[in-house]
Amino acid sequence: MRSLRIGLLLGIRQIQRASYWTTGLIIFVMTLTFLNLIAVSGILVGLIQGAENAVRESAQGDVIISARDDEDFILETPSLMRTIATYPEVTAYSVRYTGAATMEANYTERRDLSGERDTASVSVTGIDPIAEDHMTQLSELVVDGEYLDPKEEGYILIGVYFLEEYAENFGDFLDTVSNVGPGDQVRLDIGDISKEFIVKGIVESKVDEVNFTTFIPEREFRRLFSRLDRNADQIVIRTETPEQNADVVAAMEANGLTTFAKIVTFEDNLPKFLIDIKNTFNVLGTFIGSIGLVVASITIFIIIFINAVSRRRHIGILKGIGIHREAIEIAYVAQAAFYAVTGAALGTLLTYGWFVPYFDENPIQFPFSDGILAADPEGTFWRFVTLFIVTIIAGFVPAWMIVRQNTLNSILGRK
Amino acid sequence: MSALIEARNIHRKFGKGDLITHVLKGIDVTIEEGEFVAIMGKSGAGKSTLMYQLSVLDTPTEGELLVNDTDVLTLNEREATDFRLQTLGYVFQDYALVPDLSAQENVMMPLLMRGDDWQESKDTANRMLDNVGLEGKYPNLPGELSGGEQQRVAVARALAGQPKIIFADEPTANLDSISGTQIIDLLTCLHREEGQTIVMVTHEPEYAEPCDRIIYLEDGQIVQK
Repeated sequence: MRSLRIGLLLGIRQIQRASYWTTGLIIFVMTLTFLNLIAVSGILVGLIQGAENAVRESAQGDVIISARDDEDFILETPSLMRTIATYPEVTAYSVRYTGAATMEANYTERRDLSGERDTASVSVTGIDPIAEDHMTQLSELVVDGEYLDPKEEGYILIGVYFLEEYAENFGDFLDTVSNVGPGDQVRLDIGDISKEFIVKGIVESKVDEVNFTTFIPEREFRRLFSRLDRNADQIVIRTETPEQNADVVAAMEANGLTTFAKIVTFEDNLPKFLIDIKNTFNVLGTFIGSIGLVVASITIFIIIFINAVSRRRHIGILKGIGIHREAIEIAYVAQAAFYAVTGAALGTLLTYGWFVPYFDENPIQFPFSDGILAADPEGTFWRFVTLFIVTIIAGFVPAWMIVRQNTLNSILGRK
Repeated sequence: MSALIEARNIHRKFGKGDLITHVLKGIDVTIEEGEFVAIMGKSGAGKSTLMYQLSVLDTPTEGELLVNDTDVLTLNEREATDFRLQTLGYVFQDYALVPDLSAQENVMMPLLMRGDDWQESKDTANRMLDNVGLEGKYPNLPGELSGGEQQRVAVARALAGQPKIIFADEPTANLDSISGTQIIDLLTCLHREEGQTIVMVTHEPEYAEPCDRIIYLEDGQIVQK
C-alpha cells in the first residue's frame, strides 16, 4: 500500500512534468493502436454485418414464417396474419407467394419463329405492394421505372440479374433477357398458362435474393399460379427491435402457430457458413490489429526504457534512501497505464462518437454489401483490456530491468 | 556514549581475476553515538568507498560491520533498504533530489515510505524545510532552487525520518564557498543542538574543523584517526 502510494505520486508527477508534446504523441500512438484494433476487425466483420443488415432490411425481416417441412405452404395463412397483427412488437409484415416461371421478352419483334426465343427462368414473388414496401422499402430499390401501384394490374418489377444489360459482368452464367426496360412487354409462362405483363420497374439491391426475383401483385400471382386458398409461401415480419425477435417467436409458439408453419428468428435463419465467415473475419481482423498492438507495446517499452535509463541515477538514489523497488516500478507502470487508458478512451470516443455513426451514414460500398464499422461494446471492452495489459507489461519490464540493478552502481552511474 | 558503527577488518575489492583493485585494505573503525566524524584523504584514497560500506549502500568483500547493533552484512536487499529507511539519512554530493517532485514532496518521500499518512508527512516536511531555512519554498521544484537551497532540501530529507546517523558524501563539493559554509554550519548545528551522529566525507580541511574526529585515509588504509 505504501509502495502504491509513493509509486502513484512519482508516476503522476512524472506525467505532469513531462513535455506536453511527448505525452501528446504517445497518447496519439495509443489512440491509433486502439483504433487499429477496432477498425481492422470492425470493417472486416462490418462487411458481413452490412450484408446481413441488408438481407434483414430488404429481404428477410426479423422473423421468418415459412411452410412446415411436411407441408408445401403456410397453413391457415389468413388466420395467421390476423394473429400476427395483434402482437405489439410487430411493426410490419409482408405475405409472399413464390413460384417459378419462364419469362419471355422481345417476342413481338421476333420474325423467325423457328429461331431462339429470348427467355429466362425466373422466380416470381406475389406481394401486396403496400405491405411489402412498408416491410422492406422495396420501392426504394427501383433503379429504373416505377414501383407497383396496388390499383393497377398487369405490371411487373424485374430484378436486375434477369436483365442482360445489368448482369453482363457475370458473362453467360446468368439466365437473362435482353433489351428490356420499363414500358416493355414480357410474358410469364407457367406450364400451359401464359400472361403478359408490362415492365413497371427494375429493382437492384445489394441483396441477391432481390436481384433474382420478379415481383407481381399477389392477386395476379394467385390467379396465375392457381393458388386460390390464400396459403402463402413466406411471411416476413419486422419487430420494433431485433432483441424482441426471440420473444415474438416464443409467443407465437406459445399460441400454437407452429402447428401451421415453421417460425424462426432472422438470427436462427442465418446460414452457418455466414456465421463462420463472420467469426473468421473477426479472428483475422484481431490478428492484423494485434500487429499494431505489438508495435505499440514496443513503443511503450522504448519510451519507458529510455525514461528509466535516463533516470537511473535517481532510481538508485530513491532506493538508497529507502524507497522500495516496487514503488519505483509502480511509478513507471502508472505512466504506461495512463497512456493506455487515455489512448483507449480517446479511441473509444472517436469510434462511437464519430466513426460508427459516420460509417452508418456513409457505408463503404462493397459489391455485395454496404460495409459498416461493426464495433460491439463487449468486443471493444476486451480489446481495451488487451491493450491495457500489453501496455502494462511493456511499461513494467524496462522499469524492472533498470530498478533491479545494483543501487550503488545506479547512484554512481557505473555499469 | 555507545558505538553506533563498529567496522572490523573491512576490505573492498573491485573487478575479477587479474584486474582486481583493492580499494579498502582492512579498515577498523568505530563511530560513537553523537559523534561528528569527517573522512578525509586524497582522491582515490577510498573515502567514498568506506562511506558506502558504513552506510549500507555497498557490501564489503570481507570484514564485519555492525550498524546500530545490526549485523548489516546478513541483510538481504529488501531488509537493507528498510534498514536504510529506518536508521540512516543521506546527503549526496549533487543533492540527488527527484526532479519531478517539489521540495516538500522530496522531503515527504521517506516519511510516506515509512507509513506516515499524507498530512503528517506534509507537516513534518514543512517543519524540516523551515528548520533548514527554506520557508515558502515548499512547492518549488529542484530546478527552481539554487544549489545551496537544493542541498538544504537534501539535508531536510535526510533529517525528516529522525535517522540515527546521517551520511554526507562531499555535501559542499558542488556549492560555492558561502553555500558550502552554510551547509556545514547546518550540520554542525544539528550535531551540537540535537546530538545528531554525522559521518561526512570531505576533502576541504576547513569544513572538517567543526568535526569531533577526522579519519584520514591513504591508499585504502587509515593513517591517522
